[in-house]
Amino acid sequence: MGNKRAHFGIARATCALGLVATLLTGCGSDGDSGDGVTKLTFAASTFGDPGRGPLLTKWLDEFNQSQTKVQVSAAAVPYPTFGQTVLTQMGSGKGPDLVRFDMPEFEAASDAGLIAPLDKVIDASKYDLLKQPDQFMVHDGVRHGVIFEASNYAMFYNADLIPTPPTTYEQFTSTAKSLTKGDVFGLAFRQTEAEEAGVWQDIFNYVYGFGGAWSDGKNLTINSPENLKGLQAFKDLYDANVIPRGADAATFRRMFAEGKVGMELNNGGYVTATRGQNAKLNFNVAPIPFPVRKQGAILAPIVINEASEGKDEAGTFIKWALEPQNQVKLQEILGASSVATTTQRSAEALKATPFLPVFDGLTETSLPQIVLGFEAKTPDIRKVVVQNVVAALQGKADLKSALDRAQQQASELVR
Amino acid sequence: MTVVEQTGAPKTTTPGRPRRRPSPLGSKWTPYLFLAPAALFILVFQAVPLVQEVYLSFTRTRLLNPTRSEWVGLDNFNRIFGDPEFHRTLLITVVYVITCVVVAIGAGLAVALLLNKKFRGRGVARALVTVPWAAPGIAVALIATWMLNAQYGIVNRFLDAVGLGVPGGAILDSSRYALPAVLATTIWQLFPFTSVVLLSALQSVPQDLNEAATVDGAGRWATFRAVTWQVIKPTVGLLALLMTIWSLRRFELIWLMTKGGPVGATETLVIDLYSQAFDSKELGSAAAIGMVGVVISLIVIIGSRLVARAVEKGEVR
Repeated sequence: MGNKRAHFGIARATCALGLVATLLTGCGSDGDSGDGVTKLTFAASTFGDPGRGPLLTKWLDEFNQSQTKVQVSAAAVPYPTFGQTVLTQMGSGKGPDLVRFDMPEFEAASDAGLIAPLDKVIDASKYDLLKQPDQFMVHDGVRHGVIFEASNYAMFYNADLIPTPPTTYEQFTSTAKSLTKGDVFGLAFRQTEAEEAGVWQDIFNYVYGFGGAWSDGKNLTINSPENLKGLQAFKDLYDANVIPRGADAATFRRMFAEGKVGMELNNGGYVTATRGQNAKLNFNVAPIPFPVRKQGAILAPIVINEASEGKDEAGTFIKWALEPQNQVKLQEILGASSVATTTQRSAEALKATPFLPVFDGLTETSLPQIVLGFEAKTPDIRKVVVQNVVAALQGKADLKSALDRAQQQASELVR
Repeated sequence: MTVVEQTGAPKTTTPGRPRRRPSPLGSKWTPYLFLAPAALFILVFQAVPLVQEVYLSFTRTRLLNPTRSEWVGLDNFNRIFGDPEFHRTLLITVVYVITCVVVAIGAGLAVALLLNKKFRGRGVARALVTVPWAAPGIAVALIATWMLNAQYGIVNRFLDAVGLGVPGGAILDSSRYALPAVLATTIWQLFPFTSVVLLSALQSVPQDLNEAATVDGAGRWATFRAVTWQVIKPTVGLLALLMTIWSLRRFELIWLMTKGGPVGATETLVIDLYSQAFDSKELGSAAAIGMVGVVISLIVIIGSRLVARAVEKGEVR
């Protein structure tokens, strides 16, 4: 009798556990509010930017006010973990409906079939899209994204410390050396492995600025003589102690805003943030004074998640974003960046930021920081290259051997 | 009249009242009932992922398409064991674990011996010692990173002032100094735990044995070895086992301070596993590295059990 009761007790406990488990599994959400309004999420690291984030959220609000059937909410994921977080979610068939990717992650997601083709969603011929950045949005004739933001790299300099910007690499080096005194540094760039993506962005300018390239489209050319020359220039500046060694981007950008760093190579997206750190900073922008006028660009496409249940509604948002008046508003929010279409700068914007044409003038010579021909493998190649370049900076290997090793390791990866 | 039964659990019956039904706690199923939630938890959150990890380690699975796996047999293991960088990772893991265990227990024992003595403010000192252990690992890592910052860090200012400054000040970005810096931070956080546990063990050392040893003319070291060490030895063994397992698994502190860099100087097994899974997006290789970690943990556990048994039998002193 007692045993029967005990069995009954166990059965009750099991039922209770099962009920709790059932309740817990029912806590998901399908994104549909049940009132006929499709709710979408748009993930972008820029929503977390101190200067631009709130303005972008207001821009989204304008879309939401213009719609009755679709609502888009912002999902801010911090930049350092953005790609990893969103790609992991998308890989498991979940994630945000709309994503603003950086190029390496865009290429990886596109290659893995995680991005919905856009050809049926938007008619690209209807829009005056910027040709140079837009060409990277199409893979084998299939459009996977639309440029949300394109930021060209240029030389930011403190106009109080540097009245006339350098126009040659020799001037650039001598300016950096002459400015470095006490707690002021002539230059700053990322050089720690902890900032792998940032180091890649920075060395990209040196490689392409000295006539190099990561590939010829078919084969990797990591250890080419031009790349060696560019990266030797990078290493020479590191060895000359004209940079705050060990400082991460957040630290040296604050130092730049405080007038403790003379120059840095940065993209147009950072103009607003620099002003946000110190509105009184007298800084200016000029093209990077390297031998070849070629520099990196942060291309950030907006894409639709293949797993999204609201692809058509997400397309509605992209079409709204591409409307001329919304492109103008977006460009003003993004500051010195470009948007998907050719857009005129307003007189107010040019007055507030006279160097905007410098960024715009670099669009035709700017390249996304991917390895052409090996786009989807860019994150893996990036890791190998950065590890070996940092090893050379640390004196663990000479630069040539480090690049030879990187070439060999990366070639094995893409084989 | 009240009848008290002396067999099993005491029961009380009162004439005229209905008998209380026997408690199911006396049933033979009771232990299983109590064990069920823990067993279920372990099954769902430990056994199932472990089995899945074993399977993954024999496949080529990409993070971006985790449902598409290709069986590759021992390829992942052949590749990682054929990679000299993995050998370096194993070596760094061993150095990290042994240093953490030895120094944390050594420092903890020294502090516990001090705190076991009578002195003014002992209670405050005992409370203060636990602070690093109580601090969240993420906060400790971030504060340590700031203290070691090449431009603003207080550690560099101090080292410069005493003439021991690291060139450029970039301690965490130097392949020579990064591992010692990470180890110092880890041990700073760990040793309070060992000291508190050892202090409680020291308090169970019979005082009369110490006094007897002193009367017999034993010195401090001889007394410690013959009396104190014999009492705290099982606790030290348990601590060593726990510290080893925890150090093998430690992730957040190393990741936040160095991400395993520079040039792999602080890359332990778990950091390598994470990099493979989420940077390289190779879940199969990551699972293979995880399996190596599981095997090492099992060896440590079995080894410690064998040593403990030998100590109990008096084969090892």
